[in-house]
Amino acid sequence: MDNYPALIVIAPLLTAFLAGIAVWIRERLAYPIALTGLAVSIFSAGKVLMQVITSGTIQYRLAGWAPPMGIEYRIDLLNAMVLLLVSSIAFLNLVASYKSVDQEINDRAGSFYTMYLLFVTGLLGVTVTGDLFNLYVLIELTSLTSYAMIALGDRDRAPLASLNYVFIGVIGASFYLLGVGYLYMQTGSLNMADVANILSGIQGSSTVLTAFILMMIGIWIKMAFFPMHVWLPNAYTYSPIGFARVVAPLMTKVMIYVMIRLMITVFGFDYIFKTLNLSDAVVWLGTIAILSGAVMALSQKNLKKMLTYIIVCEIGYMVGGAWLGNQLGMTGAILHILNDALMTFALFLAVGNMAYRLKKLDLTDLQGLFGKMPWTMAGFVLAAFSIIGVPPTCGFFSKWYLILGAFEAGAYHFAGALIISSLLSAVLFFKVFEICFFEPMSKDHGHGESHSQVVIEEAPISMLFVSGLVSLSLIVAGLYSGTIVNTIILPFLK
Amino acid sequence: MKFLGVVIVCLTGALLLYGTGEFPDWGDPNSPASLHLSNDYIEKAFEETQVPNLVTAVLADYRGFDTMFETSVIFCAGLACFLLLRDFSQKKERFYRHIPTGVILHVKNSKKILKVGKEFEHMDKDWVPSDLIIKTVCRIIIPFIQLYALYVVAHGDFSPGGGFQGGVIFGSSLILLAISYDLKTLVNRIKEKVFGIYAAIGVLIYVGIGAICMPMGGNFLDYSKLAPLVPGDPHHIRALGMLGIEIGVGIAVTAVMAIIYINIVSEGRHDEGL
Repeated sequence: MDNYPALIVIAPLLTAFLAGIAVWIRERLAYPIALTGLAVSIFSAGKVLMQVITSGTIQYRLAGWAPPMGIEYRIDLLNAMVLLLVSSIAFLNLVASYKSVDQEINDRAGSFYTMYLLFVTGLLGVTVTGDLFNLYVLIELTSLTSYAMIALGDRDRAPLASLNYVFIGVIGASFYLLGVGYLYMQTGSLNMADVANILSGIQGSSTVLTAFILMMIGIWIKMAFFPMHVWLPNAYTYSPIGFARVVAPLMTKVMIYVMIRLMITVFGFDYIFKTLNLSDAVVWLGTIAILSGAVMALSQKNLKKMLTYIIVCEIGYMVGGAWLGNQLGMTGAILHILNDALMTFALFLAVGNMAYRLKKLDLTDLQGLFGKMPWTMAGFVLAAFSIIGVPPTCGFFSKWYLILGAFEAGAYHFAGALIISSLLSAVLFFKVFEICFFEPMSKDHGHGESHSQVVIEEAPISMLFVSGLVSLSLIVAGLYSGTIVNTIILPFLK
Repeated sequence: MKFLGVVIVCLTGALLLYGTGEFPDWGDPNSPASLHLSNDYIEKAFEETQVPNLVTAVLADYRGFDTMFETSVIFCAGLACFLLLRDFSQKKERFYRHIPTGVILHVKNSKKILKVGKEFEHMDKDWVPSDLIIKTVCRIIIPFIQLYALYVVAHGDFSPGGGFQGGVIFGSSLILLAISYDLKTLVNRIKEKVFGIYAAIGVLIYVGIGAICMPMGGNFLDYSKLAPLVPGDPHHIRALGMLGIEIGVGIAVTAVMAIIYINIVSEGRHDEGL
């Protein structure tokens, strides 16, 4: 019996505590320990994905107890994909973070890495588990670590942003837990597959409906779905960049995964789309989320904050797509989990490189950046094209599936919102490009007197390397999106 | 805004009430919650785990994986306090007492730091001499609290208790020491570093016991596979595994209690506080 499913989560957890000890003995050791933990995690996630593709769903009994009694890990194609995604992004960000953590929080870097590993453990655990309560415990772990890490950022504003996040996040988590309690009342079980089995017999129950609504609202709060998004922009803007780069692409995407998991595995399509008939309302909410996210992004003056509103907008895509109620929409939503995580990661990596040199990231500070940081900007442009949805990049393909799904479901408003938001993000990013490319560098940035003497001041090589790698992966993911859909998503949805 | 809040609260309340409509009756023995899994736990737990306390069996064995993450959450709370509050900067104003003479020095805005040792000792700004009665009573009572904490940790398998409760009791004995004497007494006796390392080691014991099961041929946390490593009756191996993790939890909780207390009362400076 191989233990790869457990190792995915245990490796970062175990190394987190080793790093926690290293903090007090030799702080420099914390970083290599963290790298090792995440490398083992990626390796195991890769192994598991291979195994799932060749031989189907893996079940792993923790502590050796059979499922409804004990906790089980159940890994199918969907989690296997998300697991590999989460562990790779976490690892790559750690590689890029060495310099930026050194710059921002050098007096407690060891504790930062410990916290970082615990955060990643939480995300991986949420993704891998097949148990409703275990999922809650890990959401708690992820949230607690992210509250602490966000508060470490900007000295004046981050603590308040984090406090807001604490209040709203705790409400979200308790809604989810309350939902699990209601379900337990009716089923007596916490194992997802077992609950799904029992639920198919009691679909009319009002308790089950309440549980469903509570759990969905809880997860929506956690993923910052439109009216519940207010905590996100400030929290992500003011957090230290080493953490923002990992929380922005992963936290919301993992929560989307949880929503899809609850919809498909626990409650089932029949219950959601035939018995309840709520999908129209949610797709409308998704439409509003997309439009308002895009419009709010347009009105921002700070680059990092603008990107956080784009996250709000992208969440609208995925929630709406998942609730369209057809295979195309769900395919689009799942593909977009992968693509959006990569795009957001690439964008935030570029922003991290800029922040390393510029300190302030208001749009007016970006003048002449193409001359100063050409490689960073190349990565930024690729990521921006992907967000807009320019064809060879991956953003185009998931949007394509979402639009097709919207037409099939007759949700023309959703398709319209998708197109409008793509146009708005084109406007948005070209505004940034214009500032960075055409407006000359202001006096205090450039050292030379004329434009010909622009000094190239790039970010450190480790950050540039990761940024370039991820930006190129956007094109690779785009070219191979057919393969991804055919080997992972479609077999999963069948 | 306030009106909207009221509306949302009312709607949520209505939803919760609506959900209670089909609840099973209070204490109904035929409700799904008491039929589906509870019987299995009640009938088999002792036989399978050799632990007479069912709650411990569920907490530390059947669902031991959840408990491991709960412990990690506690570690996280301590680490968060350290990360956010700890202030390494030197204080501008310092007070020292010359021990032989009892003269108190007030150092303002000076980089000069007197060496604290036999001659001088640190003092709090608003220093109140500790009360003799309180000190004496606490000095007597603290060892007993700690003994009781150890009992609670060790007895988790048989009676209500376990690592969390025992750890909290032990931690509170340390806090009592800090309150009855002063914070420095605690910090001087047990260094910050020790607490930091113990918090991590406590959880590491838990995760480590789980991880050792994997090379022994079992799944993660499958205590039964530890039997070859431990002399004695192999039937009791699950109970022993649970004792091991309870000890880990106890250590972690104790250290985290102290870390949280010290960092919060002294605003991260570790010099003076309550």
